[in-house]
Amino acid sequence: MSIRIAVGKGSCGIAAGAAKVSEALAPLLAGSGIPLGTVGCIGMCWLEPIVDLYDGDALKARLVQVKPEDAPRIADAAKNGDFSSISDLIITDDDAAFLQKQTRIALRNCGIIDPDSIESAKAAGAYTAISHILRDGVTPEDVIACIKISGLAGRGGAGFPTWFKWNAARQSPGEEKYLICNADEGDPGAFMDRAVIESDPHTLIEGMLIGAYAIGAQEAIVYVRAEYPLAIKRLERAIGEARAAGYIGKNIMDTDFSCEFRIKAGAGAFVCGEETALIESLQGQRGMPRLKPPFPAAAGYWYKPSNINNVETYANVAWILNNGGEAFAAMGTEDSKGTKVFALTGKIRRGGLVEIPMGMTLRDVIFDIGGGIRGGKAFKAVQMGGPSGGCIPAELLDTVIDYKKLAATGAIMGSGGMVVMDESTCMVSMAKFFLDFTAKESCGKCIHCRIGTKRLQEILTRIVEGRGREGDIELLEELCNAVRDGALCGLGQTAPNPVLSTLRYFRDEFEAHITEKRCPAHTCTDLLHYEIHADKCRGCTACARKCPVQAISGTVKQPHVIDQSKCIRCGQCIATCKFDAITVE
Amino acid sequence: MQQIHFTINGLPCAAEEGMSILQAAKANGIEIPNLCNDESVRVYGACGLCAVEVTDDGRGKPVPKLLRACSAKVMEGYAVRLDTDRVNRSRKIALELLMSDHTGDCRGPCQLNCPAGTDCQGYVRRIAEGDFRGAVEIIKQKIPLPAAIGRVCPHPCEQNCRRGLVEQPISIAFLKAHAADRDLAGDTYCPEAAPRSGKRVAVVGGGPGGLTAAYYLYIKGHDVTVYDAAAKMGGMLRYGIPAYRLPKDLLDREIAEIEALGVTMKNNVRLGADITLEQLRADYDAVILATGAWSSMKMRCPGEELAGVTGGIQFLHDISSGEGDVPDLRGKKVAVCGGGNTAMDACRTAIRCGAETIYVIYRRTRGEMPAEDIEIEESIEEGVTYKFLTNPAEILGENGHVKQIRLQIMELGEPDASGRRAPQPVEGKFELLDVDLVIMAIGQRLDPAGLDGIELTKKGTIAADESTFRTNLDNVYAIGDATNRGASIAIEAIGEAGRCAAVVDSALRGQMKPYRAPYYSKKTVTAADLADREKQPRCQMPVRPAAERARDFAPVYLGFDDETVRKEAKRCLECGCHDYTDCKLIRYANMHVIQPERFGGVRHEAEKERRLVCIERDSGKCILCGLCVRICDEDAKQGILGLVGRGFPTAVKPEFQNPETVAVCMTCGKCAAACPTGALKWLK
Repeated sequence: MSIRIAVGKGSCGIAAGAAKVSEALAPLLAGSGIPLGTVGCIGMCWLEPIVDLYDGDALKARLVQVKPEDAPRIADAAKNGDFSSISDLIITDDDAAFLQKQTRIALRNCGIIDPDSIESAKAAGAYTAISHILRDGVTPEDVIACIKISGLAGRGGAGFPTWFKWNAARQSPGEEKYLICNADEGDPGAFMDRAVIESDPHTLIEGMLIGAYAIGAQEAIVYVRAEYPLAIKRLERAIGEARAAGYIGKNIMDTDFSCEFRIKAGAGAFVCGEETALIESLQGQRGMPRLKPPFPAAAGYWYKPSNINNVETYANVAWILNNGGEAFAAMGTEDSKGTKVFALTGKIRRGGLVEIPMGMTLRDVIFDIGGGIRGGKAFKAVQMGGPSGGCIPAELLDTVIDYKKLAATGAIMGSGGMVVMDESTCMVSMAKFFLDFTAKESCGKCIHCRIGTKRLQEILTRIVEGRGREGDIELLEELCNAVRDGALCGLGQTAPNPVLSTLRYFRDEFEAHITEKRCPAHTCTDLLHYEIHADKCRGCTACARKCPVQAISGTVKQPHVIDQSKCIRCGQCIATCKFDAITVE
Repeated sequence: MQQIHFTINGLPCAAEEGMSILQAAKANGIEIPNLCNDESVRVYGACGLCAVEVTDDGRGKPVPKLLRACSAKVMEGYAVRLDTDRVNRSRKIALELLMSDHTGDCRGPCQLNCPAGTDCQGYVRRIAEGDFRGAVEIIKQKIPLPAAIGRVCPHPCEQNCRRGLVEQPISIAFLKAHAADRDLAGDTYCPEAAPRSGKRVAVVGGGPGGLTAAYYLYIKGHDVTVYDAAAKMGGMLRYGIPAYRLPKDLLDREIAEIEALGVTMKNNVRLGADITLEQLRADYDAVILATGAWSSMKMRCPGEELAGVTGGIQFLHDISSGEGDVPDLRGKKVAVCGGGNTAMDACRTAIRCGAETIYVIYRRTRGEMPAEDIEIEESIEEGVTYKFLTNPAEILGENGHVKQIRLQIMELGEPDASGRRAPQPVEGKFELLDVDLVIMAIGQRLDPAGLDGIELTKKGTIAADESTFRTNLDNVYAIGDATNRGASIAIEAIGEAGRCAAVVDSALRGQMKPYRAPYYSKKTVTAADLADREKQPRCQMPVRPAAERARDFAPVYLGFDDETVRKEAKRCLECGCHDYTDCKLIRYANMHVIQPERFGGVRHEAEKERRLVCIERDSGKCILCGLCVRICDEDAKQGILGLVGRGFPTAVKPEFQNPETVAVCMTCGKCAAACPTGALKWLK
């Protein structure tokens, strides 16, 4: 047995303490001949830090929620091959099922290979597809045909057929063309792209090389948000290694195909995830969308034909070329082919990255893979597609994951953010949260978005603060429809979606806020009313001592009372009371 | 270039291939609203006002999304519509959103408070420039009798003038009168009338309302005949206003101008007696009733039937009409009941007729008097005695003639619906005055004789629609004192007449367009906002000494000279937007009925800055169309301006907010010229 150890060091793993675990292990393994390596993110966020023990390529043990103080016994176990002393760290079968129910294509190497080693990536099959294309004379048209057969659609959110964009860019007249990767992942709760770049940058590079070859681009640019420093660092290193290995630069593999790569760090504007705003930003302009048409395929970067896809889309490309478009198309539904990566977050038991074939139901993903709701509460809704998407309520949990089926619910596939909400989530506040976000992130160019989202946000704010007026729901609907119809770009056109879909499924919550000044989820603090029930209060004074604003008074062993004018509705009294004497309405 | 065929609103059009829908529409003479488009810069697409619906893409299918006409290319067979509900809704809401974040005054408070909507700021500015003719051209867009109105109007414009927050309002009315006098003295301005339509309109009543309606209808191309029961035209201006306020020859000259324009005038024709409404309706395409309110209201107190009791209007009319000589009141005691302007005219006229003692009987105090303060002041100077907080209880006579008046003493109680404190009798307290003549000036009402078949309101006035001025009879309209709320000031009637003329014109041309009050952007200004303004006191009008003027009917005011008038006009703060007439935003806003207030919410901070040497920027009026930024960059190749911030707080600032960048401004002015609103003002 030749054991090696791999520590998962994506941003999430590092945040959970993976680097410290690695530092603790290193001296203990020194001289033992047991290699200590780094891998990216396997997608099981709730179990980080994760340490994998491999025998060759075979995973022998996956240790989870590892602490630096576990290092000695891990090192011992690795040295003597007896894992009994670390059995408490080994992942449970229940948790391990999280991965077993997935089908990983875009994430195929994530958490398995060393992202800082092209050799590790090549051992997993990196660059075989581009090598085959260039060595065996596969034409750009063949490549586009293969992508067409696969049915791959843009994974950034819009779901536009990838082959069509590639073909349009290829057909556009002009010698100078560009291929761009959109890695400006901005949806709150989405981290698929970061994980791919941090864990498997060569898969992205290879996918982009194939795309550049297909459309005839001489330069490939990755637009990564600056908030992803680790991704940028690893991608920079990977580009350097790929260049050294002859996959990037002039006359790649001694063919006529030349392609340069570079990274552009975005300054953090959400709208720069919109392709034309991204192009403006690349050009050094203020990140504001352009009117379409013309589409980037005709006039993109510096008004030259350009193709933009997101990270996950490119991450599928080499696999498709290696396995054939048919193999990819064999997965999924009539309308949606292949797999999709989702970032499961919120009130879910097992939050992380999942990649599943299209056609699974939301229930499969949230309950089978994600393990349902944390803390035994009831599932209420899932927000799909971030600020551009919508919520899907419990009664629609059996909706099949498919572009059209999700759109029919009022939500969207989006880039893959899945924010799970339980009964304690106020849907009006949720809609307001997303409007706060889009109003702040609006670039300010068009009237509908700049002022429209601001006004939507103001109306939602007054509703959650108990100042809602009769007619506000109708006003919201009117304004939402106008913004959707009139905004210039995708950000504005989709900004009303969280409001429209919560109105569609949770209209009664809006009504309760407006007419009864009541928050059914008990989260809108301005609408809460705390009360001590005299029959249950023993006068223990615990709540009065805990109250940060001295709103509770009373004598010992006598029922206490809350001064509503002082109460700041922090809820600490309820948490303190041992007799269930305090309620909130 | 290949020609493409398509339709706009169903009209067949043709344009060159490759044109945007906006360009193609323009090539076919059709305007599509837009705020951010300019041929000299790249298509931008920010405003969305140019959104159009394509109901047929040339292959029988509609285009699902609204298209921005500035960027979408026109295609063969397109059916483009600018008039669908969806397009109108989208544009309307865009304008409402813009206006919900717009801080500025389209028009100054002077104009907004003028019942006729006269562009006071516009003519005051012309006067300041010494361009009296230009001033009259502006005035006569709303008032055909400016010399008269300048003298008699209680000028709500001045009451609301913001200069009043600094020290005193601009002397707007006198400025108007001066410009009009200058115009009458020389080559009088006369607007060009439209080609004759062949339609005929009868106006009943030759007062300010009737004459105004006739004037504008004639200019709009219709033949107009004014009928009046009196011997001369002018109505209340002639028979209700004493000559010391408005010299009759001046009025004659202004009326002569209207006659010279082409309006036919027929005097001594009384409706119901000399001509019937039925006849007028048969002979004319439209009839406008502007008969006024000529009957004085009664006090309903005992003794009113005695000889020596008369109505205010009656008294003034008898003197002005020359029907009977100016009564000799020498040595007489006169009581005028009422506190309005008619009461003032009556008491000051009585003085000029030689009355020895004149009382004004008013049941409230001076503070509540509706009359203008200057009138009260001047009447006191001339010798009038005020009996405040008194009310006639009984008029006592001897041999059928007035001898005494018994006054009930009053006190002020709680404020009533009008906000004034309601007078209440003090029980048992009375005062007795010896009088020879009692003039009741407490209000006027309509004499309905001759208005056969016309529906009246509960108040006894003609019921006329507020926006179409229509009565219950087809093609019969009504305006002025005779209608709805009853008697008011002349400028109210003139305002209604102007609006009515436009409605009647539209009706005569086949499609009646009811009057709709225009939408204006307004902002609130307080004295604190104007604290930095230099104090420049109002120029004082020279007045004849009270002792002298109280003896005759010659004008009280001596008039300004040109220099004083210009100095006074220069005090104007120019509250209204300098760009109102060219502002695309307000023009589009008025194409729809917009209600920006329903969106309320926060607004951008409105600050004026002169960061660029030759341009004043008012951020409250900026709509962020980006034209200035883009023109500076793409056309002027300077790149001085930039957009700063994101979302709602986005603002136009010198690029990178660096004040030094502005040093390279070459003062080409292209940004200010391109600005679709009044946000940029060219200072050179």
